[in-house]
Amino acid sequence: MRVARWVAPVTTALSLAAVGVSTYLTIAHYTDPTGELQFCSGTGNVDCGAVTTSAQSAFLGIPVALLGLLWSVGMLALCLPIAWRAASRWVHLARVVGAVGGIGFVLWLLYAELILIGAICVWCTVTHVIAFALFVVVVLTTPPLLTEE
Amino acid sequence: MSNRKRKSTAAKQRAKLRQQRRAAAAAQAGQEPGGAQASQATARPQPVRRPGDRPRKVSKRRRSSRTPWLLIGGVVAVVAVIVVMFLTRTDDTSRGDADPGSIDKLTSVPAETLEAVGVPAEPSNVNPLPPDTAPVEEGGKPVVLYVGAEYCPFCAVERWPMVVALSRFGTFTGLESTTSAPPPETLPNTPTVTFKDSTYASDHIVFSAVETGDRLGNPLDDPTDFQQRLFATYNVESVTGSSGGIPFVMIGNRYAWAGSQYDPVVLEDKDFDQIANALTNPDSEVSKEIGGAANYITAMICQLTDGQPEDVCSSDVIQQAQAALPTP
Repeated sequence: MRVARWVAPVTTALSLAAVGVSTYLTIAHYTDPTGELQFCSGTGNVDCGAVTTSAQSAFLGIPVALLGLLWSVGMLALCLPIAWRAASRWVHLARVVGAVGGIGFVLWLLYAELILIGAICVWCTVTHVIAFALFVVVVLTTPPLLTEE
Repeated sequence: MSNRKRKSTAAKQRAKLRQQRRAAAAAQAGQEPGGAQASQATARPQPVRRPGDRPRKVSKRRRSSRTPWLLIGGVVAVVAVIVVMFLTRTDDTSRGDADPGSIDKLTSVPAETLEAVGVPAEPSNVNPLPPDTAPVEEGGKPVVLYVGAEYCPFCAVERWPMVVALSRFGTFTGLESTTSAPPPETLPNTPTVTFKDSTYASDHIVFSAVETGDRLGNPLDDPTDFQQRLFATYNVESVTGSSGGIPFVMIGNRYAWAGSQYDPVVLEDKDFDQIANALTNPDSEVSKEIGGAANYITAMICQLTDGQPEDVCSSDVIQQAQAALPTP
């Protein structure tokens, strides 16, 4: 069984966007200790610096920005047209696991931003929205591929 | 053979196979006990189950087609819950959470308790102003200036001794408890009072206070021109060692400082009521830190009021504090 024609290009584009934003966040993490980012005012509830320098900006000692980059690169590999055409159901299973794991992590980060930190990082939110879009497309389109022999 | 012919032959073969299977299934059902029910089943067509068939394949497929939507719905629901929690949290400014009696305890610490607390060997973080500093007065009374913000943790720390000391020269009304900013701010949620919407009346001094932001960092009140001028002139590196840091406190034209006068650790893990209660016990760490700083502030104000009121300014501990205050 094949998925609809639009699925591969859309998920590839979303993954590429996630790679772009998380690359920026990772570079900013390692080059600017203040955590100040472009187009992120730093006042009120929109404060990238407060988020990217918070205790929640690392998970098991690894910067969340780097984890986001690794995740988006992985999703890009799993969402390329060739991966959507793969005969092995393990590729499709890995894509679903990646999408579900990604959105699970996004929910934790959203909780951390809004409840623990009390501030939103615009760039992080962009990756969260992309992760949600990827999750929706992947869980709606991949399951039939998992049942194929 | 043409494609069309090939397709129709294959279709015929499949139909024949289906017929054979139905016949075999019907025969099998007739042999089983409860043949009556079996014959009823033939009357109403039922899905035929053969050995090796996956049970209830249709319902499983239906269930699996629902799963993605359940997952998406679950994610949307969790996001909604988090957003609601955030919005509820935004409305909670922690203002007025303390027991009303605790504010009274803060504004009426007994003189004997403050006497018993004493003062640290020397005041911390207090800078004398140059002797030629012009009098800082309003309506003929010397001014005690405070510039701070509700989110600022060191403002929260400093308001405790300020209220204790100022309450010896006049009366506060409208003081409300609050806390400093939530995490990730340093010393998050430090209990304190806010000067916002409070008034102070005294025969001896004027207390000029402004809170420039609420505990979430939103703007509150703008400093008056008078406050802004003093802040810009005296909250500078050469006087306070700070360049515009808050809290900024100025005791007339005598002393100024930016920051707090005691170690905030003493307030850690305590709520407003616990701190207010501890103030009444001269042996508590809270009382020693806050009371000690309050005694120094009292001694500084006494210099502005020419030792008035006498019962406050002539006490042993205030005399001792005055002797330890730095000179320009």
